[in-house]
Amino acid sequence: MTGPRFLDVLGRNPSAAVGLALICGFVALAVAAPLIAPYGPFEVAFGPDRSVPRLAPPSARNWFGTTNQGMDVFSQLVWGSRVALTVGLLSALGSVVVGTLIGLVSGYFGGWIDDVLMRLTDVAFGIPFLPFALVVIAMAEPSLGLVILLVIFFLWRTTARVIRAQTLSLKERPFVWAARAAGAGHWAILFRHIAPNVLPLSFLYVAVGVQTGVMLEAALSFLGFGDPHAQSWGIMLNAAFRAGAMRTAWWWVLPPGVALSLFVMAIFMVGRAYEEILNPRLRAV
Amino acid sequence: MGGFRRYLLRRLAQAGFVVWCILTIMFLLFKLMPGDPTAIFVDNNFTEDMIQRQRMLWGLNDPWWVQYLRYLRNMLLFDFGHPFFQNESVAEIMLDKVRNTCLMIVPALLVSVVFGTLIGAYAGWTRGSVFERAAVATSLVLHSVPSFFVGILALMVFSYQLRWLPPGGMVPLGGPDTLWGMLASPDYWKHLVLPGLVLVSREITGPILLLRSSMLEVKGSDFLDMLRAKGLGEGRIVVHATRNALLPLVTYVAVMTGILFQGQVLLEIIFAWPGLGRELVQALTHLDFPVAQAALYLMALVTLALNLIADLLYGAIDPRVTYE
Repeated sequence: MTGPRFLDVLGRNPSAAVGLALICGFVALAVAAPLIAPYGPFEVAFGPDRSVPRLAPPSARNWFGTTNQGMDVFSQLVWGSRVALTVGLLSALGSVVVGTLIGLVSGYFGGWIDDVLMRLTDVAFGIPFLPFALVVIAMAEPSLGLVILLVIFFLWRTTARVIRAQTLSLKERPFVWAARAAGAGHWAILFRHIAPNVLPLSFLYVAVGVQTGVMLEAALSFLGFGDPHAQSWGIMLNAAFRAGAMRTAWWWVLPPGVALSLFVMAIFMVGRAYEEILNPRLRAV
Repeated sequence: MGGFRRYLLRRLAQAGFVVWCILTIMFLLFKLMPGDPTAIFVDNNFTEDMIQRQRMLWGLNDPWWVQYLRYLRNMLLFDFGHPFFQNESVAEIMLDKVRNTCLMIVPALLVSVVFGTLIGAYAGWTRGSVFERAAVATSLVLHSVPSFFVGILALMVFSYQLRWLPPGGMVPLGGPDTLWGMLASPDYWKHLVLPGLVLVSREITGPILLLRSSMLEVKGSDFLDMLRAKGLGEGRIVVHATRNALLPLVTYVAVMTGILFQGQVLLEIIFAWPGLGRELVQALTHLDFPVAQAALYLMALVTLALNLIADLLYGAIDPRVTYE
């Protein structure tokens, strides 16, 4: 994937270009959060006379208004981008690494190893994720780390299946026979010859992973099972929902929801463009 | 057919194994929970004697493997015991909640599949048209937007601002209680509109995109030229093409209903729909473990069953699939 080709794809997919710009925007927001956000994620935005501005509509002081506890919605939104990016990246990387490893080993070695690993993915596929995650979090303490682990647990299975299928076909190719004839060991063949060929495909699942991870964190937090110490968009929506802000304070409900939707959509669009680079046949359709 | 029977047996055995694994994971989860279930159930008025008797009653003093086997037997027989805080048995509650969840999912799925198929097939047939592009773009957006935010928006606009539709619940208190009574009551349909449409807005995207691309594939196949050569009208040809393009949809629908629970839990909370998902969340917030356990188990069973049905159906409707 060379630079010009990438630009070429972006040129033909304006939605991917918009998505990429949005992602850059969110990354900038997350990195520069302390500079951009006027208040901390849990800080009360006291008025000039030290009053607490409860449910104040948007104004020059509080761009997106305030919550029922007098916190600045805009600041919370900015801090929320950090949580979204952290959860998205960590859960995506974790699930792709685990899924790729399992897929590679399962597809390459076959036999009982394959059987065991594939039955494991069957089990993972049989578990309805959100209800299961709710139960686990209810049993333990809700924390961001646990949410990320659960998302990884939920996501690795798809990557594993796809990478396994790819490995199955790759291991019969002449270059693998050649490597074996030259005396390469199993692990050398697996990681030096086969793995580089499946990595572009694994990478596609990073996009899926970020998207699903952010969405699931938001869903869990919205249901009240998120980390109460991480001000995420889902936590904001949960607080707004419980406070009945849908009736009284649209400015508290819309920003986190719109940010979440834009972020997820941006990742989706970029992922689609990447898929097209990977699989040129899609371009025809 | 011998091949099919062997395949069926293998798939059933696999499903059984997965059920056992899930049950075991659940057993461990509910065993590992911090503290003692009696601590939630009893209050300060219980004497030590009464607590011990309660533990005996629940079999908590038995060795773990006796508890495990008893748990397996109960789960397989759908004997979920009694909730901590309600009088009915868990099984009775579950039956009610499953029915309510179906009362939301089934109509929404029917609408999604029927209209999604029509829209998708038409979009694929008229490739390159404005209609096709609009359908694809809308589907992609709806597919990637979190449906619970769509639900919140719908609630804000149509219930709180415009006041067209009730903001939540299924029927008013004291309304009809039986399945047929519910279906005959206009209140139920009024309450269904918003959550149903939100669910459709998400679930319809799959059939649309799938039918469109599978129609594009079918459109180029030789058998359509054959039909044209036979002198069939274009309308009849579209019907033939659609029937072939429908194949992948069958598997998709079963898988779709399986993952439906993800969004279902959220929608039931947002619209206060008294279904299985809402029951699970409420049981977990009250730490009512028998109820939570049963709800999770039922959801897993449905997911598995639908996956199995999808695999079997695919073979049944596509004569090209062989089991040898």
